[in-house]
Amino acid sequence: MALLITYAGDHQMNFREKTAWLNVVAMVVAYSVYFGLLLSGHPAGREVFPMLWLFGSIAVAHAVTVIVGTVILSARAPKSERARADERDRAIRRRGATMAYYVLLVGMMVVGVYLPFVESGVPLANMGLFAIVAAELVNSVVVLMSYRRGWHG
Amino acid sequence: MAKPPFSNDIRTLRFLAGEMTQGDLGDRVGVTRQTIAAIEQGKYSPSLEVAFRIARVFGKPLETVFQWDDAGD
Repeated sequence: MALLITYAGDHQMNFREKTAWLNVVAMVVAYSVYFGLLLSGHPAGREVFPMLWLFGSIAVAHAVTVIVGTVILSARAPKSERARADERDRAIRRRGATMAYYVLLVGMMVVGVYLPFVESGVPLANMGLFAIVAAELVNSVVVLMSYRRGWHG
Repeated sequence: MAKPPFSNDIRTLRFLAGEMTQGDLGDRVGVTRQTIAAIEQGKYSPSLEVAFRIARVFGKPLETVFQWDDAGD
């Protein structure tokens, strides 16, 4: 993963682009495991405590990976890059957040529509979690595409 | 990503200014080296403030650094 984050072609990545790659890779790995287990019949898809236990474990592992990775990337980045985001970084971040907002909005509407038809809150919680993960992925992917292809703000 | 309807001579002006690096220019303007590279490649349109700051670093008027492309009008 470090290799991917450091040498993505001949494109020179700044600190924030590298952290966006870190977020994408960590999130895809962590929540592929989570939702993969749910689809394979893990009790976390039906019962509260298995869900909390599995989600807690995955979330902690994800958070530790991102924190450790960010610390490593921060230590290796030139001081000028990690000082603060410049106007291009902020414009790209706004674009990612705007796109992610619509994904989250639609996801929450689907959860709301589904709400009257289920008795347990566990499937709803998992659907909500999926919407959040999808929105965050869209955010990170839009940020990465904007750094790579350019974005005029 | 469509290119903006203007081009710039930042790369040439850096060369004429003692082969100033993108990092040096970025430090003086208040943006990262990658942002200067993106501006040079037409992948990012700087704000008016950053455009003026770049022009001031080279001691040139804005329209010497950035030129409107009539073909892209």
